[in-house]
Amino acid sequence: MKQFYDFKIEKIKNLSPEDKSLRKENLDLFYKNGFPNKKYEDWKFTDLNSILSKNFDNITNKDFLLDSKKLNLINEFDHNHIFLIDGKLISSDFNFEDRNKISIIDFNYKNNMTIDKNNSLNLLNNALACGGFTLEISKNYKLNKPLIIYNYYSKNLKETIINNKNSIILNDNSELTLINYIDNNSKDNFMVNSMENIEIKRDALLKNIFINNSKNASYFYKYIKSDLEKNSVFENYILSSGLKFNKLDIEINLNQEYAKSTVFSALNLLESEHQEIKTRINHNSQNCQSYQKIKNVLSDQSKGVYQGKIFVKKIAQKTDAYQLSKALILNDDAEFDAKPELEIYADDVKCSHGSTSGNIDLDSLHYLKSRGIPEKEAYKMLISGFLSDTLEKLTEENVKFFLLKKLEDQINGN
Amino acid sequence: MLSIQNLEAKIDNKNILNGLNLNINPGEVHAIMGPNGSGKSTLANVLSGKNGYETKGQIKFNGENLSDLTTEKRAQKGIFLAFQYPLEIPGVNTNIFLRTSLNALRKAKGEKEIDTLTFLKLIKEKASELGIDEKFLSRQLNVGFSGGEKKKNEILQMKLLQPKLSILDETDSGLDIDALRIVADGVNSYKNKNNAFLIITHYQRLLDYIKPDFIHVLSNGKIAKTGGAELGVELEKTGYTNIA
Repeated sequence: MKQFYDFKIEKIKNLSPEDKSLRKENLDLFYKNGFPNKKYEDWKFTDLNSILSKNFDNITNKDFLLDSKKLNLINEFDHNHIFLIDGKLISSDFNFEDRNKISIIDFNYKNNMTIDKNNSLNLLNNALACGGFTLEISKNYKLNKPLIIYNYYSKNLKETIINNKNSIILNDNSELTLINYIDNNSKDNFMVNSMENIEIKRDALLKNIFINNSKNASYFYKYIKSDLEKNSVFENYILSSGLKFNKLDIEINLNQEYAKSTVFSALNLLESEHQEIKTRINHNSQNCQSYQKIKNVLSDQSKGVYQGKIFVKKIAQKTDAYQLSKALILNDDAEFDAKPELEIYADDVKCSHGSTSGNIDLDSLHYLKSRGIPEKEAYKMLISGFLSDTLEKLTEENVKFFLLKKLEDQINGN
Repeated sequence: MLSIQNLEAKIDNKNILNGLNLNINPGEVHAIMGPNGSGKSTLANVLSGKNGYETKGQIKFNGENLSDLTTEKRAQKGIFLAFQYPLEIPGVNTNIFLRTSLNALRKAKGEKEIDTLTFLKLIKEKASELGIDEKFLSRQLNVGFSGGEKKKNEILQMKLLQPKLSILDETDSGLDIDALRIVADGVNSYKNKNNAFLIITHYQRLLDYIKPDFIHVLSNGKIAKTGGAELGVELEKTGYTNIA
């Protein structure tokens, strides 16, 4: 296979000699492995290397282009915001909050290099990352309003890759509702490879929502590593996007007792969209809970993948872990792959998983049609009903309403 | 209003209806009784346009050939089926479903869609007539409803959509006496000289509350006997064996 990428650390400015050599080490390791393919268990259903080689001639990294872009705020509900272009922190606004309780700064690369030799995208990220942010919420501070992170992208990103790192820290007993919002309609093929480190301290609560407003030809990979302390909660809500390729790789470490995590996902995939959710939930302490509900609706030639692993350490007694994957496959050319994995070393645990796939229930369709609802509309109602129950647990009514509306728009093809 | 001639219906190569004839005029209440497996529900399904049946014969509804119409078109023309087993539809809000349905019918008739506020007022009124708690309307459609609540919800839909022909498929099964009376009152209060009912039931019980003009006994996919309201009382005593 021809080499379809050419990465140069020299393009990144202002690096110290140590930083440069660390990055070089990572890049060399990346070049040894290349982009992931099906030989890797974590990429069992997806040959990313081959997908990229078909869609790119020569991917390169660039220093920031930074088009000036006007930020269009969502006006459906009050919120704070962080504005990123190509992953770089441009501005932030916490007008609804006590500003002393929140710190937002550029990501500091000096202290944050870890080498994970098994994940070549992480290696590449370590080699090339720039930009990104560190967000920290003070002890006992609960944000009044949600925070939206607006992710915009420059115009001329054709054949490039963006790498960045973020860090989010919620100190003891703090609370944040975070909405990762991608707004991009570029026809250009480009890649985004990001790594995020999340620390949720004692009694803190983070809600992490993924949504986007795009229809584009980009390839996104995001790796999230999260560590939870005692009695903390981490909720994830993942809605679909129009991204050509998107893989969310979420590692959740329940490190202290009574920590709790959820992953809810509602993906409605069209055309040749490809979306994957990979989770690894590590129950490292006793009395922790994890819950995952993954729903996919697949049309056209789309492909969905769910790889969910629950790992229960020997000391993690009284673990309560659950995962469920349900897919509606509406077209013979669409594909859904699910791989649930349980690895349990404790003996007093409650762990279960389920996976179903099928088509729209014809009796339900008939019921709706028998009330005069046209077939197409009845289909959409059933799809929307199937997906929307993943948002049931979200308590912010205005955010929920907004997300349901987005879901509805996606289903209606707007 | 409805004219069925020599109707045959097959599913999975099994004959269920074998030459059924039935005429229903506006203002009439017809009851169809018959043993299990005689084809009662198949008749209801075929009339509603459910897929999977192979049919022969003719069904005309106000002069139009029913077989040319999709399920939703039939509903838009005024045919309503109260299901024997109303479906649970997770994630679909009952209120939104009812409004979508009402608006689909209005749109088909060339009428303006009803706005949310007017709709809510209307549905509240209809629900209270049937003793349906308002909070049911904001729940997911039939999800977790008891058998009786589901059946009441069907009658609510009937009263909201105001069909010309209402087919009630064993609406009385699974109802206690109080719910039965509420359902019957719902039907009786909607009944007028312009609409008609086809009531499918196993038991005379419901017919004590809704007086039929005709009772037909269905046997082996055909109408074996037709009579007035008194036939129901007779059947209750003698059973179906003598008729077939």
